[in-house]
Amino acid sequence: MTDHRRVAPASRAVAPADGLGSGAIESPSIRLDLTIARLLAVGTYISVTLLAIGVVILVAAGRSPLEADIPAFDVARVPADLASLRPEGPLWLGLLVVLAMPSARVAASLIGYLRSGERTMAIVATAILAVVAIGVVVGVALGAGPES
Amino acid sequence: MVVGLAMMATGLGAGVFGSLLGLGGGILIVPLLTLGFGLPLRVAVGVSLVSVIVTSSASAAVFLQRHAANLRLGMTLELFTAAGAIGGGILAYALDERQLSALFALLLLYVAISMIRRREPGAAARAGAQGDAASAPPAPLPSTTDATRSARPDIGFAGYVARLSGPDYAIERFRLGIVGSIAAGVVSALFGVGGGIVKVPLMHLVMGVPLRVATATSNLMIGITASASAIIYLLRGGLDPFVSAPIAIGVFLGASAGSRIAHRVDVRVLRVLFTVVLLYTAFQMVQRAIQ
Repeated sequence: MTDHRRVAPASRAVAPADGLGSGAIESPSIRLDLTIARLLAVGTYISVTLLAIGVVILVAAGRSPLEADIPAFDVARVPADLASLRPEGPLWLGLLVVLAMPSARVAASLIGYLRSGERTMAIVATAILAVVAIGVVVGVALGAGPES
Repeated sequence: MVVGLAMMATGLGAGVFGSLLGLGGGILIVPLLTLGFGLPLRVAVGVSLVSVIVTSSASAAVFLQRHAANLRLGMTLELFTAAGAIGGGILAYALDERQLSALFALLLLYVAISMIRRREPGAAARAGAQGDAASAPPAPLPSTTDATRSARPDIGFAGYVARLSGPDYAIERFRLGIVGSIAAGVVSALFGVGGGIVKVPLMHLVMGVPLRVATATSNLMIGITASASAIIYLLRGGLDPFVSAPIAIGVFLGASAGSRIAHRVDVRVLRVLFTVVLLYTAFQMVQRAIQ
């Protein structure tokens, strides 16, 4: 016997964990959870794909991952490296996506909290982004370390 | 090509082991890269941080989709872990290799002892141990809801903390949680681990958060903690893209595979084996420190 029951869309298929009942409209916090989940999943696949492309180019070029020097990070060179199919291009871009994902998640949370009027959480999200920005400033200020 | 494949296999193994035991790959990757491939400890830590972020993002996506993580609590605490991670990133460059090796050996000993002392071998205990990796996601748990939050007082600091609680648990000792979160950030940045070895016990035992929520929330927090320090490694020239990529891909695949085979593996045997490996690695690290 054929089952003609309709399957609920993915966003509705997740049972709300807030005790509002299966027929309830998704609360802002659940919507935010799902939005961030999608962002992280897409970002992970993009970054892993970029890193895999870089590894394939590296291997195809007959180069070893254990080369003598760590290539210097220069964001301005990434487009040129990508265009000329040098492994550094997709590798650095992949790493940048990896490093940016957690901050992108916080930025998405910030937007979500601002939209739902949660001022305190919006301040927390802004403060986290500020701390990450301080990390960038500190890294630039300290300059190259002994491994570079 | 052989080295690249060996690195990917290393990441794969670390990812599978980490996932099965509820540990991040970092605790294995750093010694494997330093002792196995001869990389400087700081470079290995940078590579490990990248893997930690990838696995954290992948698993956090699953946890959030299932509403198992407490996003508000995670964001509040990660403000302090991120600050600690920046401090740890600076400290990592202030210490020499021998000091770092000695400290890493202590960390390995701590984790090994935690493994030995763990009584409950069930899935919940496994998932709750450290929660760094993309381990098997837990069943959905009630998270803090809009309805319950609005029912709580919203006055001052106490009101804010109350709003971080879930419907079936209340956050306790929040100030101690802040201090512990800073420490978790320092540990993460110094050793290239997710810091779940500090965060999960902190949230569960000190702050009264249920184990599965603590594990899921820790996974979420790990990303921003590791990225805050990884940025310092990147800008200081300590992030090797050639090594990071095969390791991160391996860990990602290994953690995914590990979460799928977890129910078929006798984790008790694995834990004993892992403890022996940790103790041996700690010994190697001590030797490296005193050389």
